[in-house]
Amino acid sequence: MTDTADNLEALMRRSLAGDQRAYAALLQATSRLLRPFLARRLSFTNEVDDLLQEILISIHKARHTYDGNRPFKPWVYAIARFRLRDHLRAHYSDQLHHAGDLSEMEEYLHEDVTEPAISYESISGEVQKLPEKQATILRLMHQDGYTAKEVAEKIGMKESAVKVAAHRAYKVLRHKLTR
Amino acid sequence: MTNIDELINRLAQDAATVKRAPHPFLLSIEWIAGAVFYLAAALMIFGTRNDLWPEFHKPWFIAEIAALSGVFISTSLSAALLSYPDLHQKRRFAFVPIAALALFVLVMLFAWRADDPSTPLPVHTYECTRSIVLLSLLPAAWMFYVMRRFASTHYYWAGSIAFLFAFSVGALWERFHEQNRSIVHVIEWHYLPMIGFGIIGMWLGKMVLKW
Repeated sequence: MTDTADNLEALMRRSLAGDQRAYAALLQATSRLLRPFLARRLSFTNEVDDLLQEILISIHKARHTYDGNRPFKPWVYAIARFRLRDHLRAHYSDQLHHAGDLSEMEEYLHEDVTEPAISYESISGEVQKLPEKQATILRLMHQDGYTAKEVAEKIGMKESAVKVAAHRAYKVLRHKLTR
Repeated sequence: MTNIDELINRLAQDAATVKRAPHPFLLSIEWIAGAVFYLAAALMIFGTRNDLWPEFHKPWFIAEIAALSGVFISTSLSAALLSYPDLHQKRRFAFVPIAALALFVLVMLFAWRADDPSTPLPVHTYECTRSIVLLSLLPAAWMFYVMRRFASTHYYWAGSIAFLFAFSVGALWERFHEQNRSIVHVIEWHYLPMIGFGIIGMWLGKMVLKW
């Protein structure tokens, strides 16, 4: 454990001196370190990947604030927590923004996604192109026949969040299919 | 190759020798030295109050200036630490302004109670606040300019503390410049606005220090 930490600090010192291979190794080790940390806090793999990329870019931007003398992990986790907080804040404020439409959506959500002539199977290609979270929700609701509440329980989200995600997916699909 | 691998390769290609940020204590000393120089220059230009020397024989005036200097020094240290993502792993020092501000409030409370019978209020009111604000603008701009080069993960607090530092410079100048013995006036028009600007600093911190 200490060896790993020492390695990270040594790699960072070499990176700050301009060693590209050390820097690549450091970023690889950091992403291995942070992935489980993010996976425990986020529901979807694509969210973890997106945020991990953001964190790596932030580490790159802020690397001059690490002097090579203090422990590396607290420094890197401070940046990771900061970006995670920002991500969650944006995520929840987005949800709040859409919460106002929920009552309006209630009626809408009970309707079919498309015209009755269009089945889930016929548009599954388009559904697969949606972000992973939205595609999963639509598949569970319209292929497997789960209700929004059941989907929420199944994937560990709030029911309102499932409805919001589904609503966004409907909008995207409607836009694509009416083009 | 995954997106992460691609990104790592791209970032690694961008790696070059990096000039490391200075130690926060050094940064804090730089800010203090710059502010003291600025304060001295402002006092030379605008003049000091006629009764400055006799005032320094009054214990509550000395206590007030000492407590205000404590706010000035501690906010400089805290702002320097808050500029680093991990507070340079000296988290305890970042909270020092809380103790300094508490001490300052206590001193002002005792000074107010000791002001018996209370000294009559001066005729002017908001002019002091205006002068403090104008004098604090340059240190505030300087602080934000320097802090933007770092990577604060607490930009609300960093902004607030930077503003408190800048306004403590203005408040010190006002106490050395303006001939005024009313502690009520000083609290109302010098120090309460300073706290208010600390809150504005939070908002500005979010606007300016976000990265």
